Amino acid sequence: METILQFKNVYAGYGRVQVLADLSFEVKTGEVFGVIGPNGCGKTTMFNALLGLITPSRGEIRFGGADITRKSPDERCRMGIGRTYQVPRPFEHMTVFENVLLAAVYGGRHSEKSGYPVAEAALRRTGLSGKRNLPSGKLTLLDRKRLEIARALGTEPKLLLLDEVAAGLTESEVHDVMALVESLKQDGQTIIWIEHVIETMVKSTDTLMCMSTGTQLLVGEPAAVMDSKEVEEVYLGVEDEADVC
Amino acid sequence: MSRRMKTEYGVFAVVLAVLFVLPLTGAASDNAMRIAFNIALYAVFAQMWNLMCGYAGLLSLGQQMFIGVSGYATAVVCTSYGMPFVLGLLVSGVVSALLALFLSVLLLRMRGLYFAIATWIVSEMIKILFTGWKLVNYAGGMTIRVTPYPTLSQQFMLILALAAASFLLVQAMLRSKIGLGLAAMRDDPDAAAGLGVNIFKMKTLCFTVCGFVTGIGGSIAYLNRLSVFPNGAFAIDWTIAIVFAVIIGGTSTATGPIVGAFVYVLLFNFLSRYAGYSNIILGVIAIAVIVVAPKGIMGTLQNRFKFELFSSTRPSLD
Repeated sequence: METILQFKNVYAGYGRVQVLADLSFEVKTGEVFGVIGPNGCGKTTMFNALLGLITPSRGEIRFGGADITRKSPDERCRMGIGRTYQVPRPFEHMTVFENVLLAAVYGGRHSEKSGYPVAEAALRRTGLSGKRNLPSGKLTLLDRKRLEIARALGTEPKLLLLDEVAAGLTESEVHDVMALVESLKQDGQTIIWIEHVIETMVKSTDTLMCMSTGTQLLVGEPAAVMDSKEVEEVYLGVEDEADVC
Repeated sequence: MSRRMKTEYGVFAVVLAVLFVLPLTGAASDNAMRIAFNIALYAVFAQMWNLMCGYAGLLSLGQQMFIGVSGYATAVVCTSYGMPFVLGLLVSGVVSALLALFLSVLLLRMRGLYFAIATWIVSEMIKILFTGWKLVNYAGGMTIRVTPYPTLSQQFMLILALAAASFLLVQAMLRSKIGLGLAAMRDDPDAAAGLGVNIFKMKTLCFTVCGFVTGIGGSIAYLNRLSVFPNGAFAIDWTIAIVFAVIIGGTSTATGPIVGAFVYVLLFNFLSRYAGYSNIILGVIAIAVIVVAPKGIMGTLQNRFKFELFSSTRPSLD
């Protein structure tokens, strides 16, 4: 499989606070790449660096063969990196349909006419067709999460970034969202996925990366990563041998 | 085009045609024509300010820079070089557009109030520059000589045509791809950028269009006024009047700027007999409207009666 995304020894942070330290990993076309790690390990900073919201101080990010380390967020979106927000950010004064049409027209570089079917397809895909003419500010949380995915799909991404799409949802809602992600995976959509629900991550991802203190701790087959001693340690801490006996 | 849109534009065309014919009938007095001229003039300025603030989220307090620069451009082209007015008009538009384009690089990195203050400061700087510039006769101002000088009726027709064009231009922008991007940008600029919208490009476009059209309007305003002085040309009063018109009429509505221009000019004329108090009264009215009906006349009516004139909402296919 071909490599679509590559982080090469990336260092990044905010002002003087360095969060990412020597982070390197690769994502292959068509895989679902999960990212886990305890709070503060740099998952979101990795996303920000990937999206162009912060610029790495050192290292290189390559996407589809091009160096994107210093490209702006809108440029990256047009190149094929689509994202969802953890806390949905719909354009509240626009209809659901317009939200997705915007994504197709700008991110997907369509004309408004050729963007229509793309937007309609993204809405059908996410089960929002029936609500397409509602102002997006009126949607429930689940539908807002769906709209996040619909908008990202509207940009026709080569790489889809999902930022905790399951957060804040009830169990049955989580199930709905997971089914949607699963169907995208079946279509060969490349996905990078940050989530806290470890169980779904093990089930649904092809590769799992566990981050710790701003770098990759372990990358590999999901079950193997979860079973490893290191991952257990960063999540649960080191067991004190003396207490065990 | 939907049936509803056809009706709206049909009514628009009829009203426009009636207004065009009005001065030819000779029914309107000179005073009425002067008021009509000012309404159309402020409709142009208000339309552009609404494009900036109501749609692109750029709060400009420096519209007077475009108006002032245009007044002087017209004076230099027509008086100093004796060129026809059409040329003065075009030079005004182009110079204002270039000014806006240049300022975009400097000012558009600022957001909200910082941008507002910066536009005002730049206007004041330009005023000082013109006050000390020999070419434009320092603080002494310039007269505008245009031969043959158009009659008041002709001037009205000219500014009416510009008002109609600026309305149609904004509508065309909102109905194009640009409109989608602007609407998204106004709600959440960061999320819009994340979906591929180039925010800087959108703002630069709006600022430049605003400079161009406001500049042409300024040129016609000074054709009417016959002389231009730095203090008047670059006075913040221009922008205060424009902001008043848009707030009263309804920000981010298609027809609000026109309604607002109408209300402002009539009110200003009525209040001119209370010289000295008129600005205080206008201020009180503006505050009252902001408190009672923050969406202005058109915004409030549209919300209350659930309709939207010249809506640019995209209907999805069924």
